[in-house]
Amino acid sequence: MNASVPGTPANARRGIPLVDGVEKVTGKARYTADLDRTGALVGRIYRSPVNHAEILRLDVSRARALPGVIAVVTGDDCPHPYGVLPVAMNEYPMARDRIRYRGEPIAAVAAVDAETAEQALALIALEVRELPAYFASDEARASDAVLLHENKEGNLERAVHHAFGDIDAGFAEADLVREVSIDCAEVNHAQIEPHAALAEFDPLTGRLTMQSVSQVGYYLHLMLARCLEMDESRIRMIKPFIGGGFGARVEALNFEVITALLARVAEAKVYTELTREECFLTHRARPQTTTKLKLGMAKDGRLTACECEVIQRGGAYAGYGIVTILYAGALLQGLYRLPAVKYDGYRVYTNLPPCGAMRGHGAVNVRHTFEVLLDRMARELGLDPFDVRRANLLEAPTRTLNDLMINSYGLGECLEWVEKASGWRERRGKLAPGKGLGMACSHYVSGAAKPVHWTGEPHAVINVKLDWDGVVTVLTGAPEIGQGSSTMAVIAVAETLDIPPDWLRVICGDSEVTPKDNGAYSSRITFMVGNAAIDAARKLKGILVDAAARKLQASPDDVECAKGSFRNARSPEQVLPFIDVVREALVNEGTITVKGTFTCPPEAQGGKHRGGAVGSTMGFSYAAQVVEASIDEVTGEVTVDKVWVALDCGHAINPLAVEGQIEGSVWMGMGQALSEETRYLDGLPAHASLLEYRVPTSNESPPVDVHIVETNDPNGPFGAKEASEGALASAMPALVAAIADATGIDLDQLPVTPDRMMDALIERRRRARREATRKVAP
Amino acid sequence: MTRPIHDFRLLRPQSVDAVIEARSMHENSRIVAGGTDLIVNLRRGIGRPSVLISLDGVEEIGQTFVSPDGARIGSGVTIAAVLADRELAAKFPALAAAAMTIAGPSHRNLATVGGNLCLDTRCIYYNQSEWWRASNGYCLKHRGEVCHVAPQGDRCHAVFSGDLAPALLVHGAEVELAGSGGRRRMPLADLYREDGRAHLTLADDEILVGVHLKHESLRSGYAKVRTRKAMDFPLAGVAVALDGNVGALRALRVALTGTNSCPVLLQGTDELLGKPVDEALLKSIDKLVQRQAQPVRTTLASANYRRLAAAGLARRLTDSLATGNASVS
Repeated sequence: MNASVPGTPANARRGIPLVDGVEKVTGKARYTADLDRTGALVGRIYRSPVNHAEILRLDVSRARALPGVIAVVTGDDCPHPYGVLPVAMNEYPMARDRIRYRGEPIAAVAAVDAETAEQALALIALEVRELPAYFASDEARASDAVLLHENKEGNLERAVHHAFGDIDAGFAEADLVREVSIDCAEVNHAQIEPHAALAEFDPLTGRLTMQSVSQVGYYLHLMLARCLEMDESRIRMIKPFIGGGFGARVEALNFEVITALLARVAEAKVYTELTREECFLTHRARPQTTTKLKLGMAKDGRLTACECEVIQRGGAYAGYGIVTILYAGALLQGLYRLPAVKYDGYRVYTNLPPCGAMRGHGAVNVRHTFEVLLDRMARELGLDPFDVRRANLLEAPTRTLNDLMINSYGLGECLEWVEKASGWRERRGKLAPGKGLGMACSHYVSGAAKPVHWTGEPHAVINVKLDWDGVVTVLTGAPEIGQGSSTMAVIAVAETLDIPPDWLRVICGDSEVTPKDNGAYSSRITFMVGNAAIDAARKLKGILVDAAARKLQASPDDVECAKGSFRNARSPEQVLPFIDVVREALVNEGTITVKGTFTCPPEAQGGKHRGGAVGSTMGFSYAAQVVEASIDEVTGEVTVDKVWVALDCGHAINPLAVEGQIEGSVWMGMGQALSEETRYLDGLPAHASLLEYRVPTSNESPPVDVHIVETNDPNGPFGAKEASEGALASAMPALVAAIADATGIDLDQLPVTPDRMMDALIERRRRARREATRKVAP
Repeated sequence: MTRPIHDFRLLRPQSVDAVIEARSMHENSRIVAGGTDLIVNLRRGIGRPSVLISLDGVEEIGQTFVSPDGARIGSGVTIAAVLADRELAAKFPALAAAAMTIAGPSHRNLATVGGNLCLDTRCIYYNQSEWWRASNGYCLKHRGEVCHVAPQGDRCHAVFSGDLAPALLVHGAEVELAGSGGRRRMPLADLYREDGRAHLTLADDEILVGVHLKHESLRSGYAKVRTRKAMDFPLAGVAVALDGNVGALRALRVALTGTNSCPVLLQGTDELLGKPVDEALLKSIDKLVQRQAQPVRTTLASANYRRLAAAGLARRLTDSLATGNASVS
């Protein structure tokens, strides 16, 4: 039996390799770029060379006339705005009338080959009247700024004002009140697989088959139907293997709609693959964020009040923006006890590629700021960073001021483990010069308890099929994107039936075969689809137990199902192999299909205040980590020497995968802390390659000691919660704290590239010199 | 999708003479060895040579000979092969140290010594896609009129970023060139000029066939700063070679990369010979570097940082080599 048995601690179990791992490492896995493209036309996109402009004339006639060009589409081919949030659809797959960022799609061609398609793009003529462009939130918010979207005053997509508890009383009670303003650069997912889509339109049947890199096949399905004015039933969505998501593909993307439009006009198969630069232009990642935070703290470290203002530079279109700015405020809470919270959030339109969701959606930059300030205030009060966190722990079950539901809470155990494992008490303050230790905490939701598209359907549905051959087939719409969701579903069913995972097969992500799923985002799959899988497996088990009872001539209550066989508890020598029971169950019935579902109860779906649904979840994961770092004072280079991290994921259904996800979170946070950032030169992305966008390599990857804490959430599948995002947001503040420990320098800007570190070191030297002269002077 | 590369003819001559002949026959041709620099640029639409002349069939340039007196490294020798050569590393430590910092393992398996020495200069306004450069009105280095880094000036400031050049410069390397007029040897420094648009002094029909090194028993090292510790060009790279000890230096050479349009062999180090390696001497080196390094905004990291980092690395390398604690990388 595999290692996931509830009851054995995760750290003593191994888990199983991902069920699709062999195909990936042997090269058999077919990603979108590997699909059969026989006869497919090549799609290419014509992108705006200007930042902000009215389109005066767009002439594609010469492109259309080029031999080998089969289809050309423009904004005229899709008059319907689309977007992931029904309340904020303000984007067209190709610009109509108005261009709002450099690189925005304006037209597209499908041609017999890439060379012809490129030549066609060069024949497109565009005349524009340029408008002032804004690349910073304050420029866009200036009173005389031209509006990017006519109905959005001050170029604000959304302003959020939330207040909970008595904020004035909270600050009055504090012994120390401090404020900080921290700037986090925009980052990008930089998933390794570039964006690609293969769309086939069959003119005889009027049907469209779409294969794409999407994390949200269902939302893409909806948007294709909307933009192409097609009946949903004429579209089939198939998910190939996917090479990473991290939020890059959690909404329908312009190139996907464009590829489908081209396929319909061409009445053919069209394949579009974006360059790395185009992937960066498509963007949809974590926005540049300025966070102003004020905290009140009592002498013993207890927090008394929290006031926070967040400004996100959102880019040119809405996307997930409203959700991001709401998350930033909502997830101030849920980690520590906070008696009073005031939040003001501003999501700003600017002339840059649109931002979106990225691992730790909305929470990361605010958590960074919070942890950094907590650390500095602890230092001022002479408190240990661990003690100040311990002074603010929650007790489950509880509800936060903004009505988030918490039923399990393992932060205390996480703190204990990383403190001990890192040797914090013995080593801190005694490291060699230039070395430091820092720590921080973070948390994240296990799925949004209220989905983006409210339909009244369950939050998750899974089908399980059992046939004469004894194979248990799990049919799930949950997109496996490398995170291990298919393996999770297999284990959930296998555990419930107590059969080896190897007896199962999984079919994932085909709208004509698998049940609808909302997609791979907000770490919803383990909690929701996992519970649905267990529900389905229990139903199947009931059917098999009944069949076994018939064959054993026993009461179903006496039938035991264990280790792949069934027996009569009253006469244990009567044992039936699994396949015999399957065949008995099929008599008179034939192939068995069961359905499992999961629905978040209303009490999990957040507060009644406006925007209260965002942040609401069935449960939070909790993380603590310690980072040991070295700072080279000659070059400003920061090296992460080692990380100790603990995550409360409720229960690790697959410890091997959980460990990988925790390491990945730490690593991604470390990238944002050290070297990853987007940089625009007059609106042009200077970072748009994997050379200039510096994702850490194995050279920068420190040893990461991982510990899994299991608190058995009462509602989670086997007690599980999310495990893929929670440990990210503490990586950055733990590193910044380690730098402060090593150098005495408090950094207010991310990432800490060598040049920024050097500037801070120089500033420290200057200050020391000034202070020295002041002391010398009488 | 990697952009489709334009159509070209690939020639694979089998000798140096045949390469030179091919070069003179095809005006719009380029030499390609490992391709790790050139092909990336061609895919971005920088240049459309109708003929590529591959060096992979030229046996003469693919070998390294080490003797007690020195070494000859063929221009077609890969970076990985340089790294694997222990004799070379023992005699010329800076060379191995520099090779180790180049890109990543897969690049090093393809990239060559000649390619690294002839690396095209780089700039954040130049190493971009055709769409990007066209949207920006191109630049002085390619197709455009203006240098976006220094719009008032009349020269291109693209920066030389090869790692091997400074290491070879401090070891007094000479390069061997072959052209239709025959072969010649000259100091490596003379291969370069301070012009981002034309930083190599090679004649049109000339190719680099090898590097000659004389064994001088110098201690040497190379260090570079970059935002990421692998797969990244130097924001500043420094090689130092010296002889003597903390009490007095008998020889001292310092060379820089990543700061100017060509690698810089630091001038003025001879005046420091015979002096002890103390704070005053290190300060002098710092000053020399800060004066001769001329970084401008060709990278996203600030120019000032690159100058300071170069100076800091030069001090540290000199100090550690003189005291014998050379942790050189």
